[in-house]
Amino acid sequence: MKKLLMTGVALAALAAMTGGADAAYVLAMKGPGAGNPFWAAVEQGAKDKGAELGVEVVVVAPPAESDVQAQITQIEDLIAQGIDGLAIAPTDPNALAPVVDAAKAAGVPVVFVDTRGINEGVTFIGTNNEAGAALAADFMCKNLPSGAEVAILQGLISQSTGQARADGAKKGLTDCGLKVVAEQTAEWDRAKGLAVTENILAGNPNIKGIFGSNDNMALGAVEALKAASKLQDVMVVGFDANPDAAASILAGEMTASVAQAPGNMGAYAIQALVDLKAGKTLEAWIDTGTVLVTKENAEQYK
Amino acid sequence: MTPGFARFLEHYGIVLVVIVMMLVLAAIRPEVFLSAQNLTNILKQNASLALLALGMFVVIVTAGIDLSVGSIMALSMVTLAIASKAGLPWPLVLLIGPAIGIIVGWVNGIGLTVLRLPHSFIMTLGTLNVARGLTFLVTNGAPVSGLQPEVRYLGQAYYSFGLAPPAGLPASLLLVAACAVGLWFFLEHTDMGRHIFAIGGNPQAARVSGINVDRTLVVVYIISGFFAGLSGLLLAGRTDSGFPNAGIGIELDAIAAVIIGGASFFGGRGTVLGVLAGVLIMGILRNGLNINNVSAFWQQILIGLVIIVAVYVDVLRRQAAVRT
Repeated sequence: MKKLLMTGVALAALAAMTGGADAAYVLAMKGPGAGNPFWAAVEQGAKDKGAELGVEVVVVAPPAESDVQAQITQIEDLIAQGIDGLAIAPTDPNALAPVVDAAKAAGVPVVFVDTRGINEGVTFIGTNNEAGAALAADFMCKNLPSGAEVAILQGLISQSTGQARADGAKKGLTDCGLKVVAEQTAEWDRAKGLAVTENILAGNPNIKGIFGSNDNMALGAVEALKAASKLQDVMVVGFDANPDAAASILAGEMTASVAQAPGNMGAYAIQALVDLKAGKTLEAWIDTGTVLVTKENAEQYK
Repeated sequence: MTPGFARFLEHYGIVLVVIVMMLVLAAIRPEVFLSAQNLTNILKQNASLALLALGMFVVIVTAGIDLSVGSIMALSMVTLAIASKAGLPWPLVLLIGPAIGIIVGWVNGIGLTVLRLPHSFIMTLGTLNVARGLTFLVTNGAPVSGLQPEVRYLGQAYYSFGLAPPAGLPASLLLVAACAVGLWFFLEHTDMGRHIFAIGGNPQAARVSGINVDRTLVVVYIISGFFAGLSGLLLAGRTDSGFPNAGIGIELDAIAAVIIGGASFFGGRGTVLGVLAGVLIMGILRNGLNINNVSAFWQQILIGLVIIVAVYVDVLRRQAAVRT
């Protein structure tokens, strides 16, 4: 009896938290509610669009960034409940492919957001990360002397986003004659970005520029450079233009970042699902765009 | 092998491993590895892990495990970062990290002794999740950056003694050293410290001989929590940020360091010096692989192998010591 009561309480609490998701457009993100201000913006964009169109938007995310199993479970449970559409940022494109197929088989319109899945015929709504990283590389090329030593802090290169940014940066930096002397992963993490930069500086004292594949790692690099009294000699460019990075750029510490448009991702995703539901067809890739953020325009990203 | 040499190996063999590793790396890349800057890096990068490992060590001595330390560290980091940004006087902010650690540690101890949960693995697995969830809840998942300089001091400051920045003696190393000496004194020279070893050796015997096992265990988990909170203060200071993803999985690194350092998973055996050596072995290995540009995937494989080999060498060492 006691057990039954506890289960009842737990279910009631669960229902209260989700608000009952029958017939709604679901945004399934890769990281928790925020986990990162980036996901907070995606969520906000989707919710605003939902309010504008007068449809219900439910946002789910695994408890930790890239927890594949939790995401699979969430989506399966949602499909079982019956939903109007699914916009998903797959934690692992291969692992999530069967679930996406299951959603399509159940007649649920599906789009990928932020990270492209492997399922055929599913529209991808997101940034061209390679182009974004190339934008950052181009900025570094224009502002550093030819032949200068630069380093790349990679994200998780087992993920397509990490791979694309590392590739785009490396190609851009090498093509214009800069010398990439170190490429190491700091796993998207600020403390690891700091430690990896310390190690890079120990082996490469002449470094003139660092590209961080996300702002967290770039901000870690800034801390390492500050401690080494080298911040004025080394240009740090990040990716994401999160509020911390914008503040750092305005303070003259980081030099630039690349903004994705996470708000666009959420908004375009909900719009796309509503369109699909109405029987329209979509382009294979809806680019949400990237823009270089420097001192001139950082204010709006704070 | 003479008995004297065997005893020396028994006590200081692990330190020899550290020295050998340093010699090997020094031979491969002397100009980088032995630079003052790189040696400083190794010390800075491992200070917060060292504190976690010291706390974990006390728990492992009682044959327990504390899985919650990474989450406690993150919860402490974000809470003190929020308080620092809210403009609380810095002396108070400094206390927040350790205070949160003490509270969660006390909860762990109560769960184990009052609720009588069967093993500390379960209670601390629970608080691992609860504390991490709270961390996301209070920050809404976003990092909180920009701390008061006084709050950052322990994590960031270093004394250069005329060396070119960023080389020098990190303040965090002094804190780790003070904690290690304090812990050593507590374990070796106080009644409660002795009781902690006794509980790990044989809890039943400890109980019959009049030791208040429950009260001692609560103190053990409070110590572990306290060190985790303190490590949060260090990492927040170092990165100038309380970020909610900090320290995910770091409890396993702390456990690995303690075990590599020669502590027994079944309790009752281990030394503070060994724990510090265990932290350094992992730290030097990572550093050595980094400065030789070895891919992160290989690093993970090698660290796994080192855990196995280090403990196996320890087993052999002990067998040799018993035979002589």
